[in-house]
Amino acid sequence: QVSVLYFARSAELAGLRCETLSVPRQITALQLWEEIVKVHPRLAVIRDQVVFAVRQEYVLLGDQLLVLQAGDEVAVIPPISGG
Amino acid sequence: MDESEDVPKNFIKLKCEKLSVDEVSELVISPYCGAVSLFIGTTRNNFEGKRVINLEYEAYTSMAETEIKKICRDVRQKWPSVKHIAVHHRLGVVPITEASVIIAVSSPHRAESLEAVMYCINTLKATVPIWKKEIYEDEYSWKENKECFWANSEK
Repeated sequence: QVSVLYFARSAELAGLRCETLSVPRQITALQLWEEIVKVHPRLAVIRDQVVFAVRQEYVLLGDQLLVLQAGDEVAVIPPISGG
Repeated sequence: MDESEDVPKNFIKLKCEKLSVDEVSELVISPYCGAVSLFIGTTRNNFEGKRVINLEYEAYTSMAETEIKKICRDVRQKWPSVKHIAVHHRLGVVPITEASVIIAVSSPHRAESLEAVMYCINTLKATVPIWKKEIYEDEYSWKENKECFWANSEK
């Protein structure tokens, strides 16, 4: 079980900022995205613009294998606009 | 001489209150430094002909602070003579013309602090998880920095 955090546009589309999700311990970034979209189909429209932050490290939506532990934080990160 | 004045420090703050140029400058002033360079990011009132009523910032706060610490670490590697670095970013509603970000860097001579400040703001815009929402008269828009390293800007 991981904590999924949503920000900015992704929070608007998902309708919430934080939830727990049950996912396999080993999963690719892309597969994780698919799991999230199953729960929040409206997120599909931003697929090409987002990245993840897993344990506060950026991960592109690709084949990279994530090794997740219970309680890990995964954030959905739309294009940033700080500064 | 007070030994603790020699220790370079990073001052990182994300806050909802109005930012103060005086406060941020004073954080980095050092008797060992002849230069303090400053960048202030202010909010504009228009975008593509639309009038901006308000701006709202939100952040993945814990990760934003971590990323800003990484920027400070990079600055010290590239410009070892840099003494203190301060990065203050405002969150929540920021009225037009008020500062959204203030960056200050001190160094013995001016070249390093000037270059380091530019590096800080450029890298912040590319890597720190903070988002700005521009609110217009009848709609709003989540902005996207062109520096964002994963967004494709072929729009």
